[in-house]
Amino acid sequence: MIEVLDLHKSFGAVKAVQGVSFTAPDGRITGLLGPNGAGKSTTLRMLYTLLRPDAGTARVDGFDVRQAPLEVQRRLGALPDARGLYPRLTARENVRYFGRLHGLNGADLEARIERLVRLLEMGEIADRRTEGFSTGERLKVAIARALVHGPRNVLLDEPTNGLDVMSTRAMRDVIRRLRDDGQCVLFSSHIMQEVAMLCDHIVIIAHGRVVAQGTADELRAQTGQASLEDAFVSVIGSEEGLER
Amino acid sequence: MERIGIVFGKEVLDNLRDRRTLGSAVIGALLGPLLILMIIIILGQVFFREGAAKPLTLPVIGAERAPNLIAFLQQQNAQIVPGPADPETAVRNGDVELVLIIPPEYPEDFAAGRPAAVRIVEDSSRQSASVSVARARSLLNAYGRQIAALRLVARGVSPAVIQPVMVESVDTATPQSQVLIFLNALPYFLMFALFSGGAGVIIDSTAGERERGSLEPLLINPAARREIVLGKLLAALPFASAVLLLTLGAYAVIFNVVPLEDFIGFRLSIDPLALAGIFLVCLPMIVLATALQMIIATFARNFKEAQTYVGFLPLVPALPGLGLAFIPVRPDLWTMLIPTFGQQILINQFMRAEPVSPANLLISAAVTLALAAGLIVISIRLYDREQIILAR
Repeated sequence: MIEVLDLHKSFGAVKAVQGVSFTAPDGRITGLLGPNGAGKSTTLRMLYTLLRPDAGTARVDGFDVRQAPLEVQRRLGALPDARGLYPRLTARENVRYFGRLHGLNGADLEARIERLVRLLEMGEIADRRTEGFSTGERLKVAIARALVHGPRNVLLDEPTNGLDVMSTRAMRDVIRRLRDDGQCVLFSSHIMQEVAMLCDHIVIIAHGRVVAQGTADELRAQTGQASLEDAFVSVIGSEEGLER
Repeated sequence: MERIGIVFGKEVLDNLRDRRTLGSAVIGALLGPLLILMIIIILGQVFFREGAAKPLTLPVIGAERAPNLIAFLQQQNAQIVPGPADPETAVRNGDVELVLIIPPEYPEDFAAGRPAAVRIVEDSSRQSASVSVARARSLLNAYGRQIAALRLVARGVSPAVIQPVMVESVDTATPQSQVLIFLNALPYFLMFALFSGGAGVIIDSTAGERERGSLEPLLINPAARREIVLGKLLAALPFASAVLLLTLGAYAVIFNVVPLEDFIGFRLSIDPLALAGIFLVCLPMIVLATALQMIIATFARNFKEAQTYVGFLPLVPALPGLGLAFIPVRPDLWTMLIPTFGQQILINQFMRAEPVSPANLLISAAVTLALAAGLIVISIRLYDREQIILAR
């Protein structure tokens, strides 16, 4: 479970996040929807402890990101916007490196990697060096290494960015399966369709603030709009930076 | 602590697979030794092929007028060849270095005991001919003295009468000392090798990691930044040490296996024990070089920039070493307090088989390692800042 309360973060004069609050419960897919530059990535980076909030608190399974960053890191798996791999290592070696940094090793680690290889259908690429992998193949490796330690909370920053239709569908299946296993899934996107299709709970962010949240139906009711798309536009105030 | 080993192991494996970086490290290692070998061979050519062993080619006009003089010159390793028809033009054009002219009146003057003139045609502005001209002149003078002595003896006078002052000169500039001056550049090449050996690893694991977009995922793992930084730093050490060993091995081959005496006329050798000493002296400098590179590569905005800055780095500590090649500095305590400078003096001492003071060894190693430790703390601080993932 991820709890975010009144988070603030500025870079110099730029106020990236100014008062974001939401809760992402276990067994649910929570989507952060907002235009590019709305503060989604900054919020996620504070959650996975690479940025320190200026004010407010964020907790992962009850551990504060500022006071217990190592506990938080152990409890979450994150796919950041930057998802580079080591091109001279095989897919399996890339995943193994992160697993070992999480304190795993031996038969347990190898079994976990094997499970992920099957889950993400990486059988053919698992023992190839990642140099020259397609975007979809690279994403699979990046997700496998984020999940290798079996985190209860999964943070995905624009996970379908740059994927073709087939890979996007496969990605959605993975996200749903994580939810069905009872994990807390939080992902960000600027694509309305995707968020509408996947998320149990939608948090709409614009200009560093949460402007509306709820299920798709609740959002339509709140705004009095017939379609979700119109509901999004009405709370954000413009269509800029969004994708259907 | 365990995570330092995990990061170390991954970086070593990753960089061992990087053939291009490994190749350039090996070239960097062999560059210095090859240059030193070339310098020795070229210097050997300059000092020995020009030596007295080579016969003096001497074009002579009117050789038949002075058979005794010609015989004397031939005895003194001069090769007499017929002179050109127009000696002055030939010398001016550089076709010949000089021409000796024995005029028609020579036999008559010589027989009568009058000073018999011979003429040397030369171009004094032509540096390359000066050695031959000087040799010809001194041979002619020697012949003159010999004849003068014979004539005095024939008249019952001691030849010493006409030599009131005898000049003896002792030239201390030996070919050895000339070669040894260039040997002083050896510490510089060692610095270059130990700076280049680990540079690829450091750049790849810092600037490269950021450029690939793998730094942010890496830092999300539950590892302290100090563990990640130390793992990366340590991973560069075996590479730098291997390159340094390769360089020292190449010097061992050049000085102990290549028949240098064929080129420079004397044996140059470095005791393998001295090479081992040099290796130990270099180890703290490897740590220092790696720490410096880490900071610079972390500040660099991208891979290219890091390569440029890190490439310039060996110049800084090498400058005093280059100065050492021409100004000898004694191994005083103050020199040991300057990291890299003290070591270069110690390396020179090992090379010359001079006794090396253990105190100097310890002090220079301690100061260098202390500076390296400070720099490592700074790199860890750099990785603790959140700008590390933001700055691109």
